[in-house]
Amino acid sequence: MTMPTSSLQAADGGPLPVEAVSDALSAEFGVSAGPRAVVRRTRLDTFDHRLRSAGLTLDHVTSALAEQLVLSRSDGTATSVVPVSGLQWPARADALPDGPLRDVVAAASDIRALMVAADEKRRVRRLELRNADQKTVVRVELDEPAARGAATPPTVTVRAMRGYEDQARRAARLLADHGLRSAPLGPDGNDEGDPADGSGPSAAPIDPAAPAQQLLALQLGRFLAAMRVNVPGLLDDIDTEFLHDFRVAVRRTRSTLKLGRDALPEVMRSRWEPDFKWLGDLTTPVRDLDVYELDLPMMAGWLVAADAADLDPFAAHLRRRRTAERRSLVRGLRSARFQRLVADWEQTLAELTGAELTGAPVGDGDVLSAEELAHRSIRRAHRRVVRIGEAISADSPGDDLHTLRKRCKELRYALEVFAPVVDKDARKKAVSDLKGLQDVLGRFQDAEVQRAALRLFADEMMAAGTVPGALLAMGELVGHLDADQDRAREDFDGAFARFTRPASERRMKALGGRS
Amino acid sequence: VKVLATYNIKGGVGKTTTAVNLAYLAAREGRRTLLWDLDPQGAATFLFRVRPRVKGGGHALVTRRRPMEAALKATDFDNLDLLPADFSYRNMDLDLDDTKKRTRRLGQLLDTVSADYDVVFLDCPPSISLVSENVMHASDTLLVPLIPATLSLRTFDQLTRFVADSEENPPEVVAFFSMADRRKRLHRDVIEAIPRDRARVADTVVPALSLIEQMAEHRAPVPAFAPTSRAARCYEQLWAEVQPA
Repeated sequence: MTMPTSSLQAADGGPLPVEAVSDALSAEFGVSAGPRAVVRRTRLDTFDHRLRSAGLTLDHVTSALAEQLVLSRSDGTATSVVPVSGLQWPARADALPDGPLRDVVAAASDIRALMVAADEKRRVRRLELRNADQKTVVRVELDEPAARGAATPPTVTVRAMRGYEDQARRAARLLADHGLRSAPLGPDGNDEGDPADGSGPSAAPIDPAAPAQQLLALQLGRFLAAMRVNVPGLLDDIDTEFLHDFRVAVRRTRSTLKLGRDALPEVMRSRWEPDFKWLGDLTTPVRDLDVYELDLPMMAGWLVAADAADLDPFAAHLRRRRTAERRSLVRGLRSARFQRLVADWEQTLAELTGAELTGAPVGDGDVLSAEELAHRSIRRAHRRVVRIGEAISADSPGDDLHTLRKRCKELRYALEVFAPVVDKDARKKAVSDLKGLQDVLGRFQDAEVQRAALRLFADEMMAAGTVPGALLAMGELVGHLDADQDRAREDFDGAFARFTRPASERRMKALGGRS
Repeated sequence: VKVLATYNIKGGVGKTTTAVNLAYLAAREGRRTLLWDLDPQGAATFLFRVRPRVKGGGHALVTRRRPMEAALKATDFDNLDLLPADFSYRNMDLDLDDTKKRTRRLGQLLDTVSADYDVVFLDCPPSISLVSENVMHASDTLLVPLIPATLSLRTFDQLTRFVADSEENPPEVVAFFSMADRRKRLHRDVIEAIPRDRARVADTVVPALSLIEQMAEHRAPVPAFAPTSRAARCYEQLWAEVQPA
């Protein structure tokens, strides 16, 4: 079903008259050319290129005669063509027609919306190459820009059909004999860079002996880029992950400021730490409600006595709350304060990079190298995690586990921020060790927060006169969360023991951790 | 992958036209579809303009000397492939008889390409044979076209008993009337009288229409060359009734 294609262009990128192409092919095939059609080819992908990463391309192709979604492998092999109507972008994969194409796209895009990645009008003419039985054995597409200045010159695409690959190769050879050359990658030819989402450790090389400020400025710059790039999608509410990624960048910025106190000027602490706290707090209410909405189908699956439909009033309540909270968030992001924060922060980072920013560091005043700061920060964060964790007993209040979770996050951020100057393998394994503990603490704290929020929502809904069925169903959810939290608490001792086992400690020590 | 077989002990009842039209409709919806023309007469293969030849013949397929994948052919329609007929399929019973698990070999062969397809249609030759037993093992649904005549009901009765007796997990049997002429009293009576307790009977009745016969001239499925015709609508209704979820 999926067959290779080859694309060819004139050596000078010039026009390819259909007559010339037909003549070249008619030596061995019966050629019938379809009518010329202007098609609009809209390339779709998620903001973070999940389809491209999965080796897929998805085009929404519209012409006067048809509207189709065409899902292909990135190497050009067509997998599926589905007729559609009235699709608007951005949209989640669940807006696509039910069927295998949607299943494939949904698996790759997950919760992210499909957005327009490229949009071009092309004049397309399809040629069918037939054998002596009048069976189509090769498809050829002549494709030229409908407007001047398009990114891709006129192109001929030869599409092989299963069981007739030899004929496709023959057709491509005939065209090559007539002077056509293989086309380079098109405008969507996988040569775009990733958006600066600031995710994962930086690959940029940094000299471990360089001043720590240099590394911190680089990382903070990446996080700022990630914030900026997510703002438009966040404001347009395209999908929940714009806000999520924005918040991650803010959180990383805050942690980096904290981890870098010994090397950064005092103004970072006095001005920027509070400013980014404000920004983080601004985004929290909507994110919390997003998490509820995303988790609702899973939560509905927990219900035993109640029916999933009993949660409908709860879902409606969440949507109302989210609408109200989003208004505040949008107001905040359109405010002069936010604009000023971004502009000033960019300026500050530029000065930091150029070492123009002066002022005594919060720490001991020495010029720390990136490596020294990395080891110091990781050691400090690790020591805190171990100290707090060792003090937790069966009688410890939930707040202690919450505090430990925050310290674990700090250690995790330290491992990410200083990734360019610490041992790669040791860091990777240390993150893996830490993840196990973070998962358990995350389950514990999420249950705590969700339970408290459910009680608050129930109060609000009761005051608004909701039906008892919804409250009973929410009660079941609270019960489930209780049990979840108990299980997480039981798992804690084992997870902490694994984190502090000798092999894990050795790895952490190699990174500067507790000695 | 869901496997649907068009099957009847009798010949000339509309198995091939049904398989070809429904396979086309499945593919048109975007389902990756394969039609295996198991009938050595090769009518479905002819309708798709594909040469009725498989390298090494049925023997090489059944004995796995040649991979099934190598024998597949694209049709002129997106998402629809064909495994062509070969005249040597007339000996498929003998080839199957020589294999281990002789009643499950066709299902095993289909497993080798199942990742590539969402729906597979088997267009079966008219008989009760080892090939039929293989088809029953391999299928999720047995689509049985019936001409509304008394003898058809008798045949249908034989078929449902055969399926029930020969299978641990029998496929769902879905009968439907084909080549029906409502002007004939006998046809109307038979359509009313068919027992619906032993097998599902589709509501859609495919009439005897000259457009369906014209498939052999056009060498294409009805919805491809006459998309707004009554015949095309009938097959669309039938597909809506029998298509897997």
